[in-house]
Amino acid sequence: MAPVILCDRLTKSYGGDRGVEDLSFEVEAGHVFGYLGPNGAGKTTTIRTLLDLIRPTSGKAEVFGLDARLGRAEIHRRIGYLPGEMALYPRLTGAEYLAFFAALRGGVDDTYVKELADRLDCDLSVRIRTLSHGNRQKVGLIQAFMHRPELLVLDEPTQGLDPLVQRTFHTLLAESRAEGRTVFLSSHDMPEVERLCDRVAILREGRLVADQDIGELKARALRKLEIRFAAPVDAAEFASVTGVREVEAHGDTLSITATGHLDPVIKTAARFEVVSLTSEEPSLEDAFLAFFEGAGRAT
Amino acid sequence: MQPELTLPKALLGSTFRKTLFDHRRSISWWALAVVGVVVLYSGFWPTVRDNSHQFSTYLESLPEAIRNLIGSDYATPAGYLRSELFSVLGPVLLLVFAIGLGSRSIAGEEEAGTLDLLLSTPVARRRVYLDTFRAMVGLVAVLAALIWLAVEVLGRPFDLTVPMVNLTASVVNLFLLAVSFGALAQAVGAGTGSKGMAIGVAGGAAFVSFLVNTLAVSVDALDPIDLLSPFRYYSGHQPIQTGFHLLDVIVLAGIAMLWVVLGLAAFERRDLVA
Repeated sequence: MAPVILCDRLTKSYGGDRGVEDLSFEVEAGHVFGYLGPNGAGKTTTIRTLLDLIRPTSGKAEVFGLDARLGRAEIHRRIGYLPGEMALYPRLTGAEYLAFFAALRGGVDDTYVKELADRLDCDLSVRIRTLSHGNRQKVGLIQAFMHRPELLVLDEPTQGLDPLVQRTFHTLLAESRAEGRTVFLSSHDMPEVERLCDRVAILREGRLVADQDIGELKARALRKLEIRFAAPVDAAEFASVTGVREVEAHGDTLSITATGHLDPVIKTAARFEVVSLTSEEPSLEDAFLAFFEGAGRAT
Repeated sequence: MQPELTLPKALLGSTFRKTLFDHRRSISWWALAVVGVVVLYSGFWPTVRDNSHQFSTYLESLPEAIRNLIGSDYATPAGYLRSELFSVLGPVLLLVFAIGLGSRSIAGEEEAGTLDLLLSTPVARRRVYLDTFRAMVGLVAVLAALIWLAVEVLGRPFDLTVPMVNLTASVVNLFLLAVSFGALAQAVGAGTGSKGMAIGVAGGAAFVSFLVNTLAVSVDALDPIDLLSPFRYYSGHQPIQTGFHLLDVIVLAGIAMLWVVLGLAAFERRDLVA
């Protein structure tokens, strides 16, 4: 089956630092794909290219196997989009706003709109101008979900959402995924991506620095080990073991930082009498930082 | 809870209808303004007519360009309407309205940040452009029709009457003049994404072409440039006195169409401003 999103050597340059360069990645059907990177890394540029709001300088962007530009009408029918900087029509009420977008989409299921509004606790009878930032985002979310799109493109969706609404949003996302929909989620909220996504791409200064399953990514992350021995062990014994980055000795305990498979470390430890061993599960954040520290500490 | 959620789809069924919906209140104020202007000038007419010889003496003393601009005939209803309604005030009112609408249609949405979401739906750029253009044409037509109706109905009690065909010809030209500058504003806005640029270029072009047309009467060197001035086709044949001139109507409509085609082509090609 063709990937839902395909970028092949996609480049968008604006002359300066902004833009993206030589992006190649695929998003498979049914996946929740996390698109991570600091602000200004090019996440929004990628998304706006996929939506044909801007055109690539070179390379190609395809959605549902169709060229982002030539197939835009067909693509947009099947896509739900939540922009990062969301601007709605302030003088319309929520209901009027959604009616307009429903009409542009050739009609939606009103009962589903009502259900979404209820679940998000969003009052649609009020003018958007008078709504708080969080409530406007709810209207935007309903707009993105209401036609049950095959692909959801969400740019920093939980920025400014209160925690309760965030939970509802996560539930909605989990449901979408269970129904086999594909989600492209740009974010810089690591715990969110870690919880929701199957696969993650990391973007740094317009270039892709990683594109992996979450599990693989974490495996590459730095892992901290604490091993207590029956008698003090020389740190030098571990310093040259494969994967070990740092060793510190405190009395009879060694603190070891390592990446990748831990087998060589464990085999080395086994030569001594081990009293206890603790290891922390690395978070995506550790993996993320590993990428950026390796590349000379990006801001 | 949403006790009775009924989405008002009929009113907001397309970008065309939404634009009308957006202006449902402001159009009422504009309508009031144009009708008010007609009522005011109709009320002055009997006084002006009775003192027309004094006006004429005064007008004789003015430079030719000014006389050509405002007309020199305050003794007939047609001359009076030409001077007071169709030379400056009518065009200013309708041009401001049309340029405002034109600049908002694409550039306004883009600056407000709402265009991204609008164009993430299956609706094509072309459709949004043409829908908002049609809405602008429709709203300007409403004001033009009200001017026609106001002169026709409210002028009568004051004896301010002209042949209906001449009035119609004048209002049609006024309508097309406003639409052509509204179309220019929309095209510049759609090509640049800047509302200020749209208003500036269209407003500036209107001012310059008005000036050129006014001065061309006495400055022969301006004649070739005057051929490019929409105002030449708007008032060159004084339709309030002479009725329809098909070529003028065609040229004015053609100018508007030209801007639509150019603006649409630029908009289709361009990256939207984030």
